[in-house]
Amino acid sequence: MSLEIEVGFTLNGRTVQVKVPPGMTTLAMLREKLDMTGGKLACGEGECGACTVKIDGRTINSCLMFAVDCDGRDIQTIEGLGSVAGLEIMQQAFVEHGAIQCGYCMPGMIMQARYLVDQNAGNDQKLSREDIARGLEGNVCRCSGYTKVVDAVAAVALEEASA
Amino acid sequence: MSTVIEKKTVIGKRIPKPDAPDKATGRTIYINDMVLPRMLFGKILHTDRVHAKIISIDTSAAKALPGVHTVLTGDDIPVLRFGTTRDNVPLKAGKVRCIRDEVAAVAAESEAIAAEALGLIKVEYEDLPPVFSPTEALREGAPVVQEDHPDNRSLAYEFSHGDIAAAEAESDVVLEHQFDLPYVTHCCMGPGCVIADFDTAGKLTIYSQTQYPYNYKMDLAPALGIHPGDIRVIQPPVGGAFGSKLDVYPFEPICALLARAAGRPVKLTFSREEEFINSPTRQPVEFKIRSGVKKDGTLTFRSVDCLLNNGAYTSWGPTTPVIQMRTFTGHFRVPVVEYKSQSVYTNSVYAGSFRGYGNVQATYVTASVMDMLAEEVGMDPIAFRLKNAQHSGEITPQGSILDDCRLGECIEIAAEKTDFLRKHEANIGNRDQSARFKYGIGIATSIHNAGGAKIHKSDGCGTILKLDDYARATLITGASEIGQGIDAVLTQIVMEELGIPMSDITIVNNDTALGPWDVGVHASRTTFIAGNSALRAARAARKQVLDAAAKQSNVTAEEMDLRSGYVVQADNGVAIIKLDKLLRQMHFTDEPELVMVTEYYEPPSELEDKNHVGNLSATWAHGAYVAEVRVDTETGEVKVLKMTAVQDVGRVINQLGIEGQMEGGISVSLGYALSEELQIRDGKVLNPSFRDYKVPTAPETPEIELHFVESNCKEGPMGAKGIAELPAIIPAPAIANAVYNAIGIRFFAPPMTPEKVARALHQ
Amino acid sequence: MIENYKVPSSIAEAAQILHQGEATIVAGGTDLTPQTEAGAREFAVTLINIQRIEEMRGISRSDDRYRIGGLTTVTEILESESLAIDVPVLVEAADHFASPQIRNAATIAGNLCNASPAGDMCIPLLLLDAEVELASWVDGSVSVRTLALADFFTGPGKTVMRTDELLTAVVFNQPVAGFAATFQKSGPRPALEISTVSMGVAAVPEAGVLTVVRVAIGAVAPVPLRATDTEAVLEGQALDESLIDKAAESVQQEVSPIDDVRASAWYRKHLTGVYLRRALSHVAGN
Repeated sequence: MSLEIEVGFTLNGRTVQVKVPPGMTTLAMLREKLDMTGGKLACGEGECGACTVKIDGRTINSCLMFAVDCDGRDIQTIEGLGSVAGLEIMQQAFVEHGAIQCGYCMPGMIMQARYLVDQNAGNDQKLSREDIARGLEGNVCRCSGYTKVVDAVAAVALEEASA
Repeated sequence: MSTVIEKKTVIGKRIPKPDAPDKATGRTIYINDMVLPRMLFGKILHTDRVHAKIISIDTSAAKALPGVHTVLTGDDIPVLRFGTTRDNVPLKAGKVRCIRDEVAAVAAESEAIAAEALGLIKVEYEDLPPVFSPTEALREGAPVVQEDHPDNRSLAYEFSHGDIAAAEAESDVVLEHQFDLPYVTHCCMGPGCVIADFDTAGKLTIYSQTQYPYNYKMDLAPALGIHPGDIRVIQPPVGGAFGSKLDVYPFEPICALLARAAGRPVKLTFSREEEFINSPTRQPVEFKIRSGVKKDGTLTFRSVDCLLNNGAYTSWGPTTPVIQMRTFTGHFRVPVVEYKSQSVYTNSVYAGSFRGYGNVQATYVTASVMDMLAEEVGMDPIAFRLKNAQHSGEITPQGSILDDCRLGECIEIAAEKTDFLRKHEANIGNRDQSARFKYGIGIATSIHNAGGAKIHKSDGCGTILKLDDYARATLITGASEIGQGIDAVLTQIVMEELGIPMSDITIVNNDTALGPWDVGVHASRTTFIAGNSALRAARAARKQVLDAAAKQSNVTAEEMDLRSGYVVQADNGVAIIKLDKLLRQMHFTDEPELVMVTEYYEPPSELEDKNHVGNLSATWAHGAYVAEVRVDTETGEVKVLKMTAVQDVGRVINQLGIEGQMEGGISVSLGYALSEELQIRDGKVLNPSFRDYKVPTAPETPEIELHFVESNCKEGPMGAKGIAELPAIIPAPAIANAVYNAIGIRFFAPPMTPEKVARALHQ
Repeated sequence: MIENYKVPSSIAEAAQILHQGEATIVAGGTDLTPQTEAGAREFAVTLINIQRIEEMRGISRSDDRYRIGGLTTVTEILESESLAIDVPVLVEAADHFASPQIRNAATIAGNLCNASPAGDMCIPLLLLDAEVELASWVDGSVSVRTLALADFFTGPGKTVMRTDELLTAVVFNQPVAGFAATFQKSGPRPALEISTVSMGVAAVPEAGVLTVVRVAIGAVAPVPLRATDTEAVLEGQALDESLIDKAAESVQQEVSPIDDVRASAWYRKHLTGVYLRRALSHVAGN
């Protein structure tokens, strides 16, 4: 019997316990053991951002993080961003601005976009389109050409700054 | 008291895709996310040779590994030929011909076990001399790749119109150039994936990423030795396609063969590395082009000779000359043209179709040559193009009917919106200054089929539309959704005709057992063809409903309209009856009727004759794009600052969708121009990762300005034309022309990487 | 096959585990996972997750000496207000490092131990004459040796670190007054990019003369290197056009790049010259 390690953490606000092999990635654990299939395996080497999740307040490529290292941490996936009742403002903006075509990269893109705007909250300097583009440089999308993605993020940044 | 409802159109509005909310929340279950009960995981052992005899394959250790259910090699199955020219088989027996070749496959209880099993398979080879370049492969005595083709010749095309020698004699300038266009790959974010499941009767259900589910059955069946009618194709949501899924590729029948052997569903998924190596590429082409012009700027002839690296097997890549040819012969008024292509088998990887389908390559060449000819005769790029642009009513030598030609208008708008001539002139003046940054502006134009492309006997699409007792509509269409947004367009058409909200419409288009036939999502055809089909179905349903309403009213059907869930009087908007109530009345009477209509739309286009003449598409569209670039003359980096796109779109149906298609297409073409190349050396792929194959990311994205020319196509649904390939076709040569404007150096072989530009400037 | 998984909470505990036999150390995981997935490196029987060693975290300064714990992430360096004031070149390099998600996970120790010739964080640290602290378990207690970073790397993916050692911190002195430094990097993609070439140049410019000149270059040799010959060309000389030409020539002599799928040796040499000129102009203050 190969080695399995029990890890416990908070996933989208709920406490979970799960046994994982030590070599398993966080992405594989989320998708295969916890049914969180929103984050995608698209490259497996941190080059595309489709697997982006937030851990202890920071976004990371979950395809690069070892699942065992999730022990004791606080994890948010795309499934935990909105609510059962409706879309979170960033998700809504992506829909309304037409940023989503095939949508495969979008759970990761939206997680990163949400993080980017949150990181800048309280900053006097508003996020420019260049700042947004740079903040999303780790997320590849082959459909949208990024313009509508940046539109959506800029709209949320503006709305939240003036709220 | 009467309810009054105003007419509100949704055509031309910014309508979000109906599937976007689920995609934004991570709820959408893509094929890559699917798990079926009892499912096994398949993996393929690809060869590590480029040309070799298979001496033996020992699978005993793999079969003995716990958790392994099935191991297959080419010797375990009959020879099942499939592919565009039937030159491929699922698992190779006897010989491997390229680095993609599949020599064995495993189905196991987990991907990890399947991967471990692959490592236990021992294959003994005897290497054969390989050949990689088409020129070499045509030489006498070259290694033979496909035994049925001892001269290594695959598909060839030829077209000729007029007397080249005479046209050359009357030309004042004749230029001859060679272009070499690279391998690039789609980089769909969702890696290749398929799930196959046989029932006890031997019928196959295949969950596939395919873009052409109906003909896919026809193409897949011979690879399995079963009847196409015994295949049901289900299309879960996919992570992009862009032409990469317009053919059957070996992993699909292999997965099905594993499923049949194991008696269980099998899922087979590519890693990103496998995806880079095994996906079809865009067709690489070596062009020789001779073109002539008179002093006054009149084009006299074009003569094009091209060589295509077929690779070891034939998918759609070697058929792209069909569309290349249309551009060489039909873009601008060229009285005399000839075109020849030869595709040649080699031990390299093979190409499929990729957004733009041959026109990407043809437009890179024609748009570059147009600028060179203009310079030779001392004309500016705009005036030269306007002089040679066709007018409405002209017919090209291949028979493309330009009944409403907006080429000139597109060029004029592009020039005016960008202040093109002033900038172009100024940049030339600045070329000799010793500044780190040089600036350039360039234009490119093209033509593309915008009303489908009749490459099969039918280019049609079927629709089934039904309205239930609650006035909810279900539109079952043959048209596939791969992210491009046909779900939104068809929903809008139903909204517009039946006056019901988006939330009351369901689009069903993911199951060949339900859907009526369609050729597939390709050739910029879906809005035009599926849109027309849906529009006709919606109008038939509308007529049925209004006729029923007229029977019980003193208002005639012609004087009625459907708005916001009501039948209303068209002139004053006064409500006559709620639509759902009317539908129930129609249904629950002594003479019950249900609203369920069918439609099959076949566009008025023609198959080419044997000389490649015929109006292949129901309509054609032009675009003119202007790129503005900055070249760092020290490092060679080219930055595209702005892209201005002007395109005849017929009519905008979904403003949001059309902008998204254009921006996305521009991004793909930006990669083609500047950074993307699948590097293949001695038949092996050197850069199978996003780390080394550079697709554009957000920071490289230029400012984009879009202008739509709305020509209101007579045949188009609500006036619309197909639009989604031109944005992936025209930008790259516009960028190349802009780079030339900046530094006076022309690049005949994209991508214009920093290193290539730096070499041209400094070496 | 991994047979043991350990999560030490102190350097001493980690050192003892390493002392017992070979182990794979995981910190941010950003380089380790692709390497193992691609088969370039196999896991040892023991996997040590060092992420819970709190004493390896954080950026501190005592007197003029900076200490960056090995588990400090690139983002933490990027966001450090004191580093931004005292050693902006380190922050500049952090800003060019991979993508935001990788910066959030990647640790300074991991970037150094991975020993990529193109490792971006190595360049500014070489300019700072940084040293690394290597801890191991010797005779019942933790023993720490301190080593110049310039002596740390031995080849692509190779360092002088023993398998029983752990890189616990990077230390360097706050630069002398007037110290100016810059980081230059290229690539077809701006950030998520293995450097074609990365370069750092530092000096104290005074009245047109550069002293304390340091030149560090990545991706042009088996290891990130200090171009000492070029430093000597520049040291104490008046920075004029002819000196810049001479230095650019020298630096191109000093590097030994290779042709690979990312760039040719010719282009890497070419960029080395371009970047040196840019960096000198920047450092000299114009």
